[in-house]
Amino acid sequence: MFNTKQIINLTKLRKFQFVLVAIIVSCLLPLILSNQFMIYVLTLMVVFAIYASSWNLLSNSGQGSLGHAAFLGLGGFTYSLLVINLGIPAILAMLIGAIFSAGIGFLIGLTCVRLEAWFLAMVTFGFSVIIVAFVNHFKDITMGVLGFRTPLIVQVGLPLYYFSLLVAILSILSMYFLMKSKIGLAFRAIKENSSEARMIGINTAKYKLYAFVISTFFAGLAGSLYAQVIRHLDFRIFDASNSFEPLMMSVIGGLGTIEGPVIGSILLVSLDSFLPNIDSYLQPLMSPLFPAVSFVGPPIRLIFLGLFLLIVVIFFPNGVTSMIRKFYNYLIKQFRE
Amino acid sequence: MLDSSTIILTLIWGLAIGSIYVLLATGLNLIFGVMKLVNFAHGELLVFGAYIGFSISTALGIDAYTSILFAMGLVALIGVVVERLVFRRVLGDEKLKEIFVSLGLILIFDNAAMLIWGEKSQRIISPFSNSSLKLPGLSIAIPYDLLVAMLLVVFILISLMFLIKRTKIGLAMRATSQNRETSMLMGINVEQVYVITFALGAALAGAAGVLYGMSFNFSPYIGSFPTIKAFAIIILGGLGSIPGAIVGGLLYGLAEQITGTYIGGNWSDAIAFAVLIIVLVFRPKGLFGEREN
Repeated sequence: MFNTKQIINLTKLRKFQFVLVAIIVSCLLPLILSNQFMIYVLTLMVVFAIYASSWNLLSNSGQGSLGHAAFLGLGGFTYSLLVINLGIPAILAMLIGAIFSAGIGFLIGLTCVRLEAWFLAMVTFGFSVIIVAFVNHFKDITMGVLGFRTPLIVQVGLPLYYFSLLVAILSILSMYFLMKSKIGLAFRAIKENSSEARMIGINTAKYKLYAFVISTFFAGLAGSLYAQVIRHLDFRIFDASNSFEPLMMSVIGGLGTIEGPVIGSILLVSLDSFLPNIDSYLQPLMSPLFPAVSFVGPPIRLIFLGLFLLIVVIFFPNGVTSMIRKFYNYLIKQFRE
Repeated sequence: MLDSSTIILTLIWGLAIGSIYVLLATGLNLIFGVMKLVNFAHGELLVFGAYIGFSISTALGIDAYTSILFAMGLVALIGVVVERLVFRRVLGDEKLKEIFVSLGLILIFDNAAMLIWGEKSQRIISPFSNSSLKLPGLSIAIPYDLLVAMLLVVFILISLMFLIKRTKIGLAMRATSQNRETSMLMGINVEQVYVITFALGAALAGAAGVLYGMSFNFSPYIGSFPTIKAFAIIILGGLGSIPGAIVGGLLYGLAEQITGTYIGGNWSDAIAFAVLIIVLVFRPKGLFGEREN
């Protein structure tokens, strides 16, 4: 049949085809669904795909963050404040925002690289709490509690969608090639076994720091896009839910894969955006059971999200991606026979 | 601002709040020490304890301190269910997985509390809510609740120490925490020890919840902050060390109250975490944790 090299080439070709199809679909989809809300949802998906991928990159080096919202917010605030107060060109401000976020990430990373997984989770979470206090303290500059309207790079709607898509494709591709490079290999070695990685001569602290800086750079980049999508920026961007979101997206989509966070963000953002439609049916059905709450819809939906997360982690540790892959292989097999 | 009565009152509040944190952190530390499990949903058990105490003391008309017993029992029951259905399946796997399932549990618990008890913030009325101890000579009044809370925590900790040091199940717990495989060879039913440990940790969280509910307003979504504080405390005190958790909890309570009084309420959480991060920079394993070689 085939020799190994041919098979590798074949899978490479198939991967390339998948990526191409995904890009074409994501370019054409908003033209078919030319509805304001749909385009908003699609833009949010794209932004969260960058954000979740940045978290996933960090987890690829064996580190986990429970405070990534800090870097999302840093990117968003730096971008908006630079444009509003100093009149810096928006694209430049976006880049500065991401670099600033990466700079703070470097400082936090310096303390984090020596810590084990759960200590690290604490420090990152603590940092996202500290930063809220800072934003609220310097409220003359940050307008922390009230918030403000964010400046735009391009018009809301289709232009913002395509701009975000371009940034997302570039970011995710560069993360993909990074993971394929020697640095990515070092990350994976550290994740598998950090003491063995040190034994074969990998400077684990250095590579962990690399992962932290690169991840926070992309989180900051996603932050300035996120600020433009939500249009109104205040301290709530640092909320714990924003820190947990990329984690859930990566886990549900499939940890350690490049497509996992993307699929996870498509899934979770659409659940967040479309599922509220069933609230009006749930309300008359369930509210006699729970008289204490005025709106039963949101808590019920979140309980099911929690159950979904538990089921994925316990029964499908490789996420939804692995299920799709299994299903695809099964189809191929059936088709051949 | 810097008069002696404010200082004394701040210190007493710090110790009282600190002792509630001690209870929570000790439970978490017990679970970590024996099972090597990181339960990020521990604060949710505190919230359930507070609500159970609230419901039982208002529905049955018994006083709030007696309701601690009910809260401990029911939260321990919840703990047993959670351990058997969820944590047992990911135990011994990657550490990150425990954090992931904890997040799922946080979503479920927070919103279940929301459905059952509603969004209104509540407070448990204690029998001593309006009386306080007036010290002669100083113009301060110490609420009795704070003193009773501290005494109760001391009592619970002493009984816990007795359980761990003097009983057979305590011996089994200590053995399991030292070496799981050898304990199994010695005929210890490790899974049973795990269930009991988790239930015990949950019961401590339930007791902490009722005490917390008497000092603060609580609502369904507050759980994650106590969890994070409890983790900060056991990191300060050293993982798995109960004396460390006691010292860490009291220090944390004091630091929080002092910054709250003298720097501003906005900063009290931030300063506490700043202290945590600084400690971890110099001692990556915590203040009393063993040194890395």
